[in-house]
Amino acid sequence: MKKQESSRVQLLNVVKSFGDNTVLHSIDLDIQAGSLTTLLGPSGCGKTTILRLIAGLELPTSGRVILGDEDVSVLSASQRDVAMVFQSYALFPHMTVGQNVGYGLKMQGIAKEERKERVKDALDSVGLDGFQDRYIDQMSGGQQQRVAVARALILEPKVMLFDEPLSNLDSKLRRQMREDIRRLQQELGVTSVYVTHDQDEALAVSDDVVVMRDGEIAQQGSPKQLYLQPNSKFVATFMGDANIIQGEVIEVGQKTILRIDDVEVETDRPMDAEHLGKNIEIAIRPEALSLTSAGDTSQPGLPCTITTKAYIGAAIEYSVKWRDQELFLISATGSQEFTIGEKASVLITPPGIAPIPGK
Amino acid sequence: MNKATQSRLLPSIKPRTKWVLLGLLVWIIIPWKGLEYGLFESTFSEILDAYAWKSINTSLISLSVFLLILLSPWRSHKKANLIEAALSISGAVSVLFIAAFLNESLGYSAAIHLTLLLLIFALALARMGFIQGDPFMTTAIVLIMASIAVFVLFPISTVFSKVLFLDDGTFTPLAFYNNITSFGVGRTLKNSLMLAVSVGMSSTFLALCFSLFSVRITKRFKGLTRIFSMLPIVTPPFVIGLSLILIFGRNGTINDGLLALFGNDGLFIGAGNDGWFSRSAYIYGFWGVFLAQTLSFTPICFMLLVGMVSTINPAVEEASVTMRASDAQTFYYVTLPLLRPGIANAFLLAVISSLADFGNPMVLGGDYDVLATEIYFSIVGAQLDYARAATLGILLLSFSLLAFLIQRKWIGKKSYVTVTGKGSGGYFQPLPAWIRRIATSVTLFWMLFTAILYGSILLGGFVVNWGADYTPTLAHYEELWARGMGYGAWPSYLTTLKFAAVGAPLTALMGLMIAYVTTRKRFIGRNIVDFSAMISFAIPGTVIGISYVLAFNTAPILINGTAIIIVISFIFKNMPVGIRSGISALSQIDKSLEEASLTQRASSIRTIFTIVLPLLRPAMISAIVFSFVKSMTTVSAIIFLVTADTQVATTYIMGRVEDGDYGQAVCYGSVLIVTMLIMILLVEKFIGRSRIERA
Repeated sequence: MKKQESSRVQLLNVVKSFGDNTVLHSIDLDIQAGSLTTLLGPSGCGKTTILRLIAGLELPTSGRVILGDEDVSVLSASQRDVAMVFQSYALFPHMTVGQNVGYGLKMQGIAKEERKERVKDALDSVGLDGFQDRYIDQMSGGQQQRVAVARALILEPKVMLFDEPLSNLDSKLRRQMREDIRRLQQELGVTSVYVTHDQDEALAVSDDVVVMRDGEIAQQGSPKQLYLQPNSKFVATFMGDANIIQGEVIEVGQKTILRIDDVEVETDRPMDAEHLGKNIEIAIRPEALSLTSAGDTSQPGLPCTITTKAYIGAAIEYSVKWRDQELFLISATGSQEFTIGEKASVLITPPGIAPIPGK
Repeated sequence: MNKATQSRLLPSIKPRTKWVLLGLLVWIIIPWKGLEYGLFESTFSEILDAYAWKSINTSLISLSVFLLILLSPWRSHKKANLIEAALSISGAVSVLFIAAFLNESLGYSAAIHLTLLLLIFALALARMGFIQGDPFMTTAIVLIMASIAVFVLFPISTVFSKVLFLDDGTFTPLAFYNNITSFGVGRTLKNSLMLAVSVGMSSTFLALCFSLFSVRITKRFKGLTRIFSMLPIVTPPFVIGLSLILIFGRNGTINDGLLALFGNDGLFIGAGNDGWFSRSAYIYGFWGVFLAQTLSFTPICFMLLVGMVSTINPAVEEASVTMRASDAQTFYYVTLPLLRPGIANAFLLAVISSLADFGNPMVLGGDYDVLATEIYFSIVGAQLDYARAATLGILLLSFSLLAFLIQRKWIGKKSYVTVTGKGSGGYFQPLPAWIRRIATSVTLFWMLFTAILYGSILLGGFVVNWGADYTPTLAHYEELWARGMGYGAWPSYLTTLKFAAVGAPLTALMGLMIAYVTTRKRFIGRNIVDFSAMISFAIPGTVIGISYVLAFNTAPILINGTAIIIVISFIFKNMPVGIRSGISALSQIDKSLEEASLTQRASSIRTIFTIVLPLLRPAMISAIVFSFVKSMTTVSAIIFLVTADTQVATTYIMGRVEDGDYGQAVCYGSVLIVTMLIMILLVEKFIGRSRIERA
């Protein structure tokens, strides 16, 4: 398959209600041409609704949906230049693999020979050439997934939509499939929107992640941005584990300096001057914390007591109690070990320190 | 917006113009008014007078609407679609109301005009964004809603107005009260309810025994499920009642036997003595109807319960046993509570069926009058009291709706049994011994009893006069079938096949469409469709009959006495068959299949034809066959609607029963059973057995 023209996707002020129930409140979303953007959020946050609005399976209650330079707000799904990979794959059980993949071409009235050729190409690109005459129930789950992808990309759509495409696969296969999808997407350069509730998956495949909550966009940015510079406690805790600690902003400017208890830490995240001297919440990733003996005074740390300890192979996970707060941290096996009940000191080392501005 | 988009947005100007032209054509060449004697038996001048252009009539309304729409002076107005929708629907409604007011009965071209107005209305709605701007689905929904309004809601409302208004239109709010408290109504109601509750309990108990027997006690009687799934479907009305008469009736086998032993000439008594026994009509009345209904509805309850019994996860019983519960405790505290929703469901289903049953009380009721038969007797014969019939109809409808609502709202959602599709491991615990004994003996006895009854139906047609003269004869068959196609049973048999063949595909289509739009689409008015579908599940045939008589005996829709009304009553009476098989088939089809098709650039109409219909084909076929078969056995809904020309099999049999000609009645009944069995077996061959048992 060849690299194709891709389009920008925009949602302008989109509201979607079902009866009295408003599931999307005034969404503005800009998805760059050729990017893979993930919609991430807990179930019921409206991420699938956004996908279906782009597909045309739902029409917005108000607002506009723009694909490329065309306003498609009122066009139905069959009139839009998009393709979708469904969570359940939605492969037609009464058709063969070849018929499934060629379905959209047939609907467009493309001649049989060309159809055959293009079906072969599409199946080839997912590594399934030769399976044309099998029925869907003769394929494994992973193969079905690939057929679904082939069926979507054969139409050379301006936008590819993925609705939790990997949720029916086991974890090993999931890892491989997400790499395959990412590779295909980059080869074809097609704008893709990908819905998932799995943050690992989102971080692994995306150019851009849109975190959603209660029908609104909580934050949009690159995976790294979201992980290291969340703008809310929700995003901080949703994107991986985070310890939320109170601290004071003592210096702003190029770098921000924060004081937690007696410990001063530096972070890359710039803060406005208005925050100076204020107490704010700070999200600290477990890998930014480490333990040292209680008597170690070479670096300032937070005095704590070990409460739980779990050996998980590559590392040891600890929960420690500092003041009345539980902290969670990971330390590599081979470093100094502590026992439950022992006193220790928690060190804080960047990166992984994210002050959360705002309320 | 570019040009291509614009043309995609306005796809439907052309069909609208075409339809307007079709409307004009129809106006010219097809009669507008209803013909009292039908198209083929009216005189030339009668037909000529029926043409729209011969007189001033309601066609002026539809014509002017057509003309306005063709010209569309509002074309560039931003609410053009709204104007067009409002104009076309109000045109259709006012044709109906003004025709009613002018007492003008509408005919073929009127029907076409109304349909065209609805189509124009639907397209305008689609352009306004109804159902995501989908013209095909919008049209389907509009047509469904219109036909439900005309053939379900309108007739039922006529029943109510019959009770509340006198014939001259005076409002008589007390009439309903007077009618309800009038002599006999209370007793009839009490009879109906007592019968329904008793039959509900007995059928449920028997069905529970059977299902425990066939799932948990022995696998030897595998055919039981199959036979029970077929019996209620292929048994014509009256037939069970008749077989009970043959066995238990005044001249029945039991009476004869007892008489031969203990009668005044009996074996043990000796000639000349009075004997201990004389003929008795004990089977007529409560116990006869009770027995017949229990026989008729036990299989239905069984089909419901056996599904539940077999989907209980054995693991829960194993869990109970590991916690030191005995077999009896496990059954009482685990198994039975799990079945409780199923038991309640089966009970209510039997109650609803008993309330609606017309055939059995007709044959066996004697003095024990119930609502369904009283409605009939209020209209036929000397009484001709429509208001009383309507009152009884309302009572009957309310009670079966009530039972249905309880079943649906209260129990329908309380099913503990989840079908996951995963085979669950483990083995069922043995049932307590006494339950095994009861279930086994009840089942075996009842099977034997059923076999004897059905045997008597088959044999009853081959003897001169059951009870009096057991000489084998073919006379009944010759009388019915050998005197030429114009005599005996042939006319009614062929009429039945013809009506059923016309009605069945329409019934299936209507049912599947309703199932589709109510389960897959969100639209304004879905509640109405849902509600009407629900009514059609609960509405007793007799109530359909009385409401159709009342609604379609006057203008604007005067179709009483025609074949059309019988086919229509078949459609709306049997619609649940289509709805049910549609819903169960659709629940197996992932909704995203259709969405996948849509995102693959297939329009909704192509999606229906390439995805939905092929996947629904087995459901479609079974819906067609079952509505065909159900039409053949429908009696209550059409008993008021048939005429000499439109006599069908069931009404013919009823005539024979009323004449006391049981030989011919059972003989005809067995032919119907065989006909229906052949049809079902043929279908099984094509679409497989499992689907039939599910339907």
